Amino acid sequence: MTERGVLLVLPAWNEAENLEAVVGELRSVRPLDEFLLVDDGSTDGTGAEARRLGVPVLTLPFRLGYGAAVQAGIKWGLRAEHRLVVTFDTDGQHDPRDIAGLAEAAAQGADLVIGSRVGVAGAHSGSWPRRAGRRLFALLVRALTGLSLSDPTSGLKALGPRAQALFAAARFPDRCPDADALVLAQRAHLRVEERPAHMRRSRNRHSMHDGRAVAYTGNMLFSLLVAAMCREADLRR
Amino acid sequence: MPLRQKVFFLAVAVVLLLTIVDLVRRRRMRVEYSWLWIAAGASIIALILQYDLLIHLTALIGTAVTTSTLFFLCILFLAVLSLSYSVQLSRLSWEVKELAQEVALLRREREQATPAQPGRA
Repeated sequence: MTERGVLLVLPAWNEAENLEAVVGELRSVRPLDEFLLVDDGSTDGTGAEARRLGVPVLTLPFRLGYGAAVQAGIKWGLRAEHRLVVTFDTDGQHDPRDIAGLAEAAAQGADLVIGSRVGVAGAHSGSWPRRAGRRLFALLVRALTGLSLSDPTSGLKALGPRAQALFAAARFPDRCPDADALVLAQRAHLRVEERPAHMRRSRNRHSMHDGRAVAYTGNMLFSLLVAAMCREADLRR
Repeated sequence: MPLRQKVFFLAVAVVLLLTIVDLVRRRRMRVEYSWLWIAAGASIIALILQYDLLIHLTALIGTAVTTSTLFFLCILFLAVLSLSYSVQLSRLSWEVKELAQEVALLRREREQATPAQPGRA
């Protein structure tokens, strides 16, 4: 089996404007990694812009939402047998220099590594409802799993093969898998860790999983509780 | 139960059942989705022919009058129906998501196998 290196999965919905800067920075920091932009039904030519920049594109036929776009990229990584898939948002809020720390944790045996902005000096921590939500979900994840993860809603994640397989399951939560995904990972006996991440302000107003915050919180709360009740067989569905 | 009522509701039930059979016959509805409706039509007929059933049922669940039992059954039926729709819709949306991702993955595989010609981005 020829194992391949790191695949950076870049979910994007209408990010044409930011792409050049984000990809440029990624390339200069991670010259050896493979990139895959997942174009989630963009209407602003994001896919064409990515091709112009020489980034391979996975084009979804219509908009599936953040979680399903990320999942499509993970499926590609799984099939191409990448030893590590890193999900990295294209709105400019993630810092490519944090990937090294995540990759190192994975190399030391972690199946799933989360980039956490909590406790990182200078990291952009978002508005107060966001911070409150993060605290709430962190507390819930700890209550349900015993895992002490400070930033369960982070989109910056590194997935080893076992985590890729879990996240690629057909019925894995695909709206915005974050806190619930961590609970599921723990129930699947994956080793979950976190590493510091230097979050920045998003370059645009529409962060992909922004808006409808109340619905999101409600869905996530329920999804978390159900995730905690999942049996092993449910995880493979 | 007066004869007039019996005949009326029997006619309604028969029309309902025939409509369902016709929908399935013309492939407008899948057999799997028809059983709940068939059950509804069949229970109307059963209750008309055996009105005692409704009286027994009323006594069993403790409602005051038979009409309440009927209303309860109707609402229960509608609730079960929408629940089954939610399940089917969820399954469909998962399937659509899987298909869309698969289309994207296959397209990417094909692109990789046959590199784009120069001038064609």
